[in-house]
Amino acid sequence: MGIAATIRTPAEGPFFQGKKSVEPILKTENLWKLYRAGKVEVPALRGVNFAVQPGESVAVMGPSGCGKSSLLYVIGGLSQASRGKVLVDGNDLASLSDAARTKLRRHKIGFVFQRFNLLPTLTAKGNIAIAQFIHGDGFDPHRFDVVTQMLGLAGRLHHKPSELSGGEQQRVAIARAIINEPKILLADEPTGNLDSKNSEVVLQMLRQLNKDLGQTIVMITHNPEATTYFDRVVHMRDGIIVDGVPAD
Amino acid sequence: MMGELIVRNLLHRPLRTLIGVLAVAVEVALVVLIVGLTSGLLTETAKRIEGIGADIMLQPPAASIFLGFSGSPMPIKIADKISDFKYVLAVAPALLQFNSTGGVDVIYGIDRDSFRAVSGGFVFLEGHDMEGPDDLLVDDWAAKAKHIKLGDTYNLLNHDWHVAAIIEHGKGARLFVPLATLQDLVGARDKASIFLIKCTRPEHTEDVMEQIRHDLPGYTVRPLKDFLSLMTSTNIPGLQTFINAMIALAISIGLLVIFLTMYTTVIERTRDIGVLKSLGANQSFIVRALLSESAVLCLFGILAGIGLSYAVRAAFLAGFPTLSILITPRWILRAGSIALAGAMLGASYPAWMASRKDAVEALSYD
Repeated sequence: MGIAATIRTPAEGPFFQGKKSVEPILKTENLWKLYRAGKVEVPALRGVNFAVQPGESVAVMGPSGCGKSSLLYVIGGLSQASRGKVLVDGNDLASLSDAARTKLRRHKIGFVFQRFNLLPTLTAKGNIAIAQFIHGDGFDPHRFDVVTQMLGLAGRLHHKPSELSGGEQQRVAIARAIINEPKILLADEPTGNLDSKNSEVVLQMLRQLNKDLGQTIVMITHNPEATTYFDRVVHMRDGIIVDGVPAD
Repeated sequence: MMGELIVRNLLHRPLRTLIGVLAVAVEVALVVLIVGLTSGLLTETAKRIEGIGADIMLQPPAASIFLGFSGSPMPIKIADKISDFKYVLAVAPALLQFNSTGGVDVIYGIDRDSFRAVSGGFVFLEGHDMEGPDDLLVDDWAAKAKHIKLGDTYNLLNHDWHVAAIIEHGKGARLFVPLATLQDLVGARDKASIFLIKCTRPEHTEDVMEQIRHDLPGYTVRPLKDFLSLMTSTNIPGLQTFINAMIALAISIGLLVIFLTMYTTVIERTRDIGVLKSLGANQSFIVRALLSESAVLCLFGILAGIGLSYAVRAAFLAGFPTLSILITPRWILRAGSIALAGAMLGASYPAWMASRKDAVEALSYD
């Protein structure tokens, strides 16, 4: 039995039930994010219009400071937009309270970070299981086994992050991000701290998640080679999206 | 899962955890030992006074229940007057002298025959009753603590005494000397600090007390069967305030150490808090995680504190056998509750601070 047959796709998960919409799963309208530096407001995002369809994989590229990470944090509900709309599965994040955004994040978003961000005190298993615990549905051993086997982590589950290679840590982070079947996986330069070999492994896994399971993915990257694994590449500069062309 | 997170977090920084546990342990032990020492001293003193076997004690007007603190000796002829009361079997005058040389003691100057009539006499472990004016009777606990042996010459109140007997403890004082000699030594000829009264039957106690109140108005009359219940810290002026101050100090130590421990924990785990938030953990989850961690740390501290209390008591009793430290389950529970409440209070601000952290800032924390 293949992976695709044993694991539920996000589109079949609890938040998709009864909905086979062609509406974007993620959409921003005139999105602004301003940071305050003393008395000066510095715009990180300046009217971003951006949409991602369900099952799509999108790479966001751009130079440092162009607002890529700010965009990721705002669409992931970690940071609040200063102006404009962010629609995640039809929910406008701007209209949600902090608690409601947290709940939405818990159920619909998975994050993968450049620095892996695993909890250093927990084992690989603990790092994945805690996401299930916070999600509130308890530990699902079947889902856990499928995800960890898919990511090649079965033999490394009882090791702490400090005992794992960078590639293994990032695979644990991906497992943690997808264990609760989020609708959108947001990856912030997931290969930024990896060598080329491990980068390729991680990118292939992300592509596999997208192709086999229909996982919607938005990834930020500096690496032009990484974008070849994605359906679409979006370029950002100075807080705005300057184009959006399908990749080869 | 929460349990695993807490345990692993505590084990991640063993020294910090150990310091936190020790602080709580010291807090608990301080409370238990201060209260135990106070109540032990009071209870043991009260038991010794009850152990005399008298039914009534007469003291000067407005005298303290703590006998060594009472001054204003009374004329000894009062004994003759009381002896004439109906239902009075015997009256024993005693002159009490506070002594701080070689430890803190209250020396009883007694009249051998009347004291025997009231108390039924001492149990002699070694030696014999008072025969000469310089004879000293020492109870077994004091003999052990002060390394006094039968036949020794022992200096008290600048006077050399001959140790005539080692007696069983529990008859009022630990050191007994002849009344007349003590009266001469302290310049209180024909005076007594207390009168111990034995009634013909215990049920006549109230009748005798009523006669005393009538004929000797203003004097303090106490039934000795209630003495134990009267010997509480609340009846000793200033003692309860001292105990409360010590408890407050102990709580402050625990609270501040827990606060500092959890504060540094939150600073150190800033990024982890950001990660938890990115996973969808809400404020309540983060507060709960940190308070639970403090509670677990505190519980280990309480257990260590109980152990420490017993260890310190054993060490004290080995060095000072006359000390009495009363460790009760009630005060262990109370000290534990106080420590837990202090720990929760100390951890509440760091936990609140953690729950309010901005997720993006937390994730970029180095």
